[in-house]
Amino acid sequence: MKHSMKRVFAATGLVAAAALVLSGCAGGAKPDTGEAAGGGKSIVVDASFDLKTADPGRQYETTGSIVAKALYETLLTFNGEDVTEPVDGLASYEMNEDNTVLTLTMKPGAKFSDGSDVTVDDAVFSLTRVQGILGNPSFLLEGVKVEKTGDDTLTLTSETPNPALPFILPNPALSVVNQEVVEANGGSADESDDAEAFLNGQSAGSGPYMLESFDAAAQVVFKANPEYTGDKPAYDRVVLRNVEGPTQKLNVEKGESQVALDLNPDQVAELASADVKVVSNPSRYMIFLLLNQNPEISEITSNPDFLQAVKLGLDYDKIVSLAGEGSVRPGGPIPSLFVGAIDAKQGNQRDVDAAKAALKKSGYAGEKVTLNFPNDITVQGLSLQNVAEAVQAQLSEVGIEVALAPAPVATELDAYRNGTETIGLWYWGPDFPDASNYTVFSPGELVGLRSGWAADANPKVTELSNAAKAATGEDRAPAYEAWQDELNASGPFVPLLQPAQNVVTSPSIESITTNPVWTVDLALIK
Amino acid sequence: MAVRLGLTVLLMFGVTIVTFVLTNLVPADPVQAALGEQAAANPEIVAKFRAENGLDQPLVVQYFTYLGNVLQGNLGVSTQTRMPVADELAAAFPATIELALSAIVFSAIIGIGLGLWAALKRRTFVDQIIRVVSLIGLSWPTFWLALVVYYVFFFVLGIFPGSGRLDPTAIAPPHVTGLYTIDSIVAGQWGTFWDALYHLVLPASVLALYTIGLLTRFARSAVLEVLDMDYVKAATAKGLPRRTVVFGYVLRGAMVPIITVLGLAFGSLLSGTVLVEKVYSWHGLGEYSFSAATKLDLPAIMGVGLVVGIVYIGLNFLVDVLYGVIDPRVRVS
Repeated sequence: MKHSMKRVFAATGLVAAAALVLSGCAGGAKPDTGEAAGGGKSIVVDASFDLKTADPGRQYETTGSIVAKALYETLLTFNGEDVTEPVDGLASYEMNEDNTVLTLTMKPGAKFSDGSDVTVDDAVFSLTRVQGILGNPSFLLEGVKVEKTGDDTLTLTSETPNPALPFILPNPALSVVNQEVVEANGGSADESDDAEAFLNGQSAGSGPYMLESFDAAAQVVFKANPEYTGDKPAYDRVVLRNVEGPTQKLNVEKGESQVALDLNPDQVAELASADVKVVSNPSRYMIFLLLNQNPEISEITSNPDFLQAVKLGLDYDKIVSLAGEGSVRPGGPIPSLFVGAIDAKQGNQRDVDAAKAALKKSGYAGEKVTLNFPNDITVQGLSLQNVAEAVQAQLSEVGIEVALAPAPVATELDAYRNGTETIGLWYWGPDFPDASNYTVFSPGELVGLRSGWAADANPKVTELSNAAKAATGEDRAPAYEAWQDELNASGPFVPLLQPAQNVVTSPSIESITTNPVWTVDLALIK
Repeated sequence: MAVRLGLTVLLMFGVTIVTFVLTNLVPADPVQAALGEQAAANPEIVAKFRAENGLDQPLVVQYFTYLGNVLQGNLGVSTQTRMPVADELAAAFPATIELALSAIVFSAIIGIGLGLWAALKRRTFVDQIIRVVSLIGLSWPTFWLALVVYYVFFFVLGIFPGSGRLDPTAIAPPHVTGLYTIDSIVAGQWGTFWDALYHLVLPASVLALYTIGLLTRFARSAVLEVLDMDYVKAATAKGLPRRTVVFGYVLRGAMVPIITVLGLAFGSLLSGTVLVEKVYSWHGLGEYSFSAATKLDLPAIMGVGLVVGIVYIGLNFLVDVLYGVIDPRVRVS
């Protein structure tokens, strides 16, 4: 026995020694680094990727926008976090009185990373390419005619008034690319465009960074663009890595990475005593319930009194508190960040007695109603499962029996988009930060139809929606507020919350600027 | 050999049918999963997407188009990234191979060694300890263990590096095999070699722990069976040195079942590393298959199915060959 124990200790010692030798060797050895080759300061940013491409005209995902924003510039942009007013980017702008013609005047001096000037031809090519290649972001300029009208001017002409156009143009999908370079590598402004593979290998923009390497699954590395004419970024090299949330938390606490973009509320709460900085702001996402108004899908949810009972039965503040610090409740579908948003006080409020009375009036006899939601995705780290469970428990208190039906998003999307869910729990991320983006919640519109709300289902909401779309200047905000008030009263949607967007940084980071359109501007990290 | 080869081709054909049918049985529309909210509502964009990906063709036509392409080494284009699936697999597969190979080598040495030791010390304290430890190794939930190991050895003790296959500031060695340890040696980048090896330790150890438990138990029972064989008793009776009896007779005799388990374990490591890959940001085949499945990327799912099928068939073939090497009676029969 004594002999055996000796061997056990000897074997354990050998393994420990091997580990120490290995760690010692590796710790002493430095890998061949880009930092060494390029010099200058570098940072590592951890994110949970939904990346498909580095081609700005084809990307339309969160990570794609971060990448495009770092590599390219747009004609108009937003200043820091403020998305209530578009500002000049590569061009200045002027909208005509009836909001149909937007004239853009290119500013002199901007240069692409190959040293050539950014011209009006590049701008026209870039916008018409986004329209022509029929990718995910093509709809942004649907019905808009792009024309060169002078040596340094172009116009965007809409068939109908389009006051949102200046708010659409800052989207990184509408970045300006170097026409000559892109065309030389298979690019065109129609479906035959074949420049994506090239743009995944190297960038052709005038942004603060250039592409050093691109791997949609693992990481994107940026290096400073020496030709960039804006303020020089604080870091010469940025590594944007694909890392899961739990690992992101440990990495940023340990200093392995300097920024973590995807921590959920629980992980952020655990960081209270850690030596990191947490920036929590309301995100651009709005999580909502839809109750199908098509009687063929559900006699129960299409009953107006049942709908009212649900709206009155939910404890909105409790649901918001689930999502942690920085989360807020929007008054209507339009998130609190945008012009036209209404205060949470104007939204539906919990009134259990009134909910029970409405439920009784509806003739509901305790049947189970199904709540469908995707359970394999999170919104800003918040699991929809948690929200669904809260809804189930709260509605049970007023007498509504909810059966939860979670499913993978890839399969549940069909039911949601085809309008066959009884009750659905989903979220809406704005395509551009303007109130007009939310009129899709009107009868007969994209999301309206998903709740069985046909075009003629509610003329009053339709009328207010049309009025809001046509409103200009200072009339816009009140028009959208009126539309949301009516939507809250009679619509099939129940806006629940905007989860927080949490960004955690190591102490070495002085400041970071978030933005609802491109999440974070890597060039503004200081 | 010709029969075996014919069987392999038939099996491969079967794999293409199974992966294609199963993938297309999923009750969901890949168009909805691939296109954004607004794009999915635009009939023109939807039609273009269907035509580009051959989804407008009948399923039978789609299958034969797919088969024809596979025979030419073309696994189609990912509906998510629009990159050739073969290229993406060529990038993801070496990462998993490197991880799984490290884990299996580590597991084989430790697992077979412990199993042999336990069997030779049957019913002693050492045997009991090894059996308990192997059971514990089999019982940890991998995802949890991966996080705990990461937390302890990276976060608390700081003796091993964080996530990824290399330091974030490192440049990957020039692509030869896709295995960073091998490629860095080929390129003479010794710093990168140590860095890659250093990053392998934690994820490979986590993966190995389960396989060590499995191999230990199998090796122990296989060795115990052989120890009772007449030829072992005869060898001992002849007065051969213990070392010769153990390694020349006992271990050799026990290797056939062990090799079988080793082959199966390697196959499952290759196809089942998804959780460890996620924690360690490894971006290999496991993570690729997970992403393909959740995004309903049909060509990518079929590509992964095909690769895993080929790996299993190849491993079975290799195991059969090894049987013959270890035990000539198998070759004769």
